[in-house]
Amino acid sequence: MTNAQSGSESVERRLTPADLQSLRFTRAAMLRPGYVDTEVDRVMSRLAEELSRHITEKSALRDRVRALEAALEGAVEGAAVPQPPSEQALRILSAAQQTADNYVAEAEEFSRQMTSEARALYEEAVRQARENAGAILQAAQEAAAKIGGGITVAPRSDEQRSVAELQEQVAYLRTFGQAVRVQLRSYFEALISDVETEWGRADPAALPQAVARPALPPGQETGGGSGATFVGNTAAESRSDADADVGPPATAGSRSST
Amino acid sequence: MDIPAMRANFAKAAATGDEAPLYFYSHLFLSHPETRQMFPVSMAHQRDRLFSALGDVVARVDDVDALVPILQQLGRDHRKFGTLAAHYPAVGASLLATLEHFDEHWSPELAKDWSEAYTLVAEVMTLAAGEAAHEPAWWEADVVGHERRTIDIAVLQVRPRAHYDYLAGQSVSLESDLRPRLWRYYSPANAPRPDGLIEIHVKARDGGPVSSALVRQVGVGDVLRLGPPIGHLALDPESDRDLLLIAGGMGLAPMKALVDQIARKGPPRRVDLFIGARNEDQAYDRADVRRLEREKPWLTVTYAVSDDKLSSLEQGNVGEVVMRHGPWLSREVFIAGPGPMVSDTETRLEQAGGPRQRIHSEVFAPSRPGPSLDLEVTE
Repeated sequence: MTNAQSGSESVERRLTPADLQSLRFTRAAMLRPGYVDTEVDRVMSRLAEELSRHITEKSALRDRVRALEAALEGAVEGAAVPQPPSEQALRILSAAQQTADNYVAEAEEFSRQMTSEARALYEEAVRQARENAGAILQAAQEAAAKIGGGITVAPRSDEQRSVAELQEQVAYLRTFGQAVRVQLRSYFEALISDVETEWGRADPAALPQAVARPALPPGQETGGGSGATFVGNTAAESRSDADADVGPPATAGSRSST
Repeated sequence: MDIPAMRANFAKAAATGDEAPLYFYSHLFLSHPETRQMFPVSMAHQRDRLFSALGDVVARVDDVDALVPILQQLGRDHRKFGTLAAHYPAVGASLLATLEHFDEHWSPELAKDWSEAYTLVAEVMTLAAGEAAHEPAWWEADVVGHERRTIDIAVLQVRPRAHYDYLAGQSVSLESDLRPRLWRYYSPANAPRPDGLIEIHVKARDGGPVSSALVRQVGVGDVLRLGPPIGHLALDPESDRDLLLIAGGMGLAPMKALVDQIARKGPPRRVDLFIGARNEDQAYDRADVRRLEREKPWLTVTYAVSDDKLSSLEQGNVGEVVMRHGPWLSREVFIAGPGPMVSDTETRLEQAGGPRQRIHSEVFAPSRPGPSLDLEVTE
């Protein structure tokens, strides 16, 4: 056991993994099988010493790392935060802030009440004024009609009659114009709808789905079953809509939260 | 990263209601007093918004594809508040302190996970903010016109001092020195013009600090600050499909902008604009809309009043009136207005068979302090 012997001579030298690998114990005497007990014991005790030295060294190093980390953190924060504020200071500032918030909220509430009351008064005043004006106008017209005696056959100055006639004509033309516009509009809408349907026939894939929907019998449209799917559709579509526009889908929670 | 543990930890802080955000902001302001001036006097709404925003981030932390664009938008948008890269670690430290304060089982592992997660979030936001650095963080704009149209509605003309780019239908956040640090979203009522003028319609909300100031106190010569534009109502430049525009109340502004865009850029097409108001008095922009209708042969405007029996305008909710005029199946539809009006109109159009993918809408809440994490500019 050449190696072990040289190891035992220099006790101060540390046991290395290489020492252990090359370690060869001497075979004991013929009568007792195995290695020489004393050699094995000596190596074992040196190993135990080595191990315990490693353990203490490791824990000392860990403490050191922690201390250094804490110091570093303190230094980083210390550059900005001289020291964390005391609990007492935090409480005082919090109370002061809450007091200020309450005053502002009270002022806002007061102003809200004042303005909404003022607005209600204002709107009521305007409404009454308009009603009064309407009533006065009506009374005047009735009085005029009474004075005139009849409606149109009554003797009137030509000027008055022509004004009334003109007004009637204007009103008639206005209604007529309105009716024509409404008719034309629905005609064009139908035309466009037709065009889209035709276009859909030529290329059904290009047709937006909902345009095809009115082709269903009206009974199916109003059925309770389709109402349920409709709700589902809306939800799905509103989600895709939000996606397409700016980004993440709107969740109901956060919409109302901020 | 142990996401379930982080969620459980966050839930503890969130469960305290106002306590946790209050602690967070106090911690932030005490350790970094310079950040206080970036916030409004009253922090009540701010506190709600911070924790719901954080909650949204936490909820989506395992869906990076959805989270990253949101964070990028947030990062860009935070530039107008004067947020610098140096502020992010400060916020992170206060956030960790808060999460630790409200969790008796706080552990170094949690601290490490949160700090890693926050660093990631901050990195995405600062990077996006840095990429937008070629643009101003905000634009100063002079008020060059201010007209009170009704008791509570004003039409403002503002001119940004530097070139300000946006699309018709988008919204612009703005702030006035009268109400510092309170940003609200408004939709320009015109497409970008060569002279840069932007028309803004404002209705004073009862008790609304910003809207009442804009209607009653701001005047010609005042300066507003504009943030970058945001929003999603926009015309498809490829399409020349006829349009149906439906506006309820202040939703008229983006609809007018779309009309203006067609007038300026085309392509030509028929446009029907329906404008709903409670009463004739609230139909605040009639003169200008009628002028547009006279000048543009392709534009037809119909006003509807829902609560004004004496009016000669068409009676009924705007959705009802729209359906009275036709099924509109072939139109590209844009709707903007209060929530109930928008959903009512959508439902009517869909029931008539209108294809959902051609209906675009935006809800105009009375107060629009900022986009949520979904980039909706509604409240």
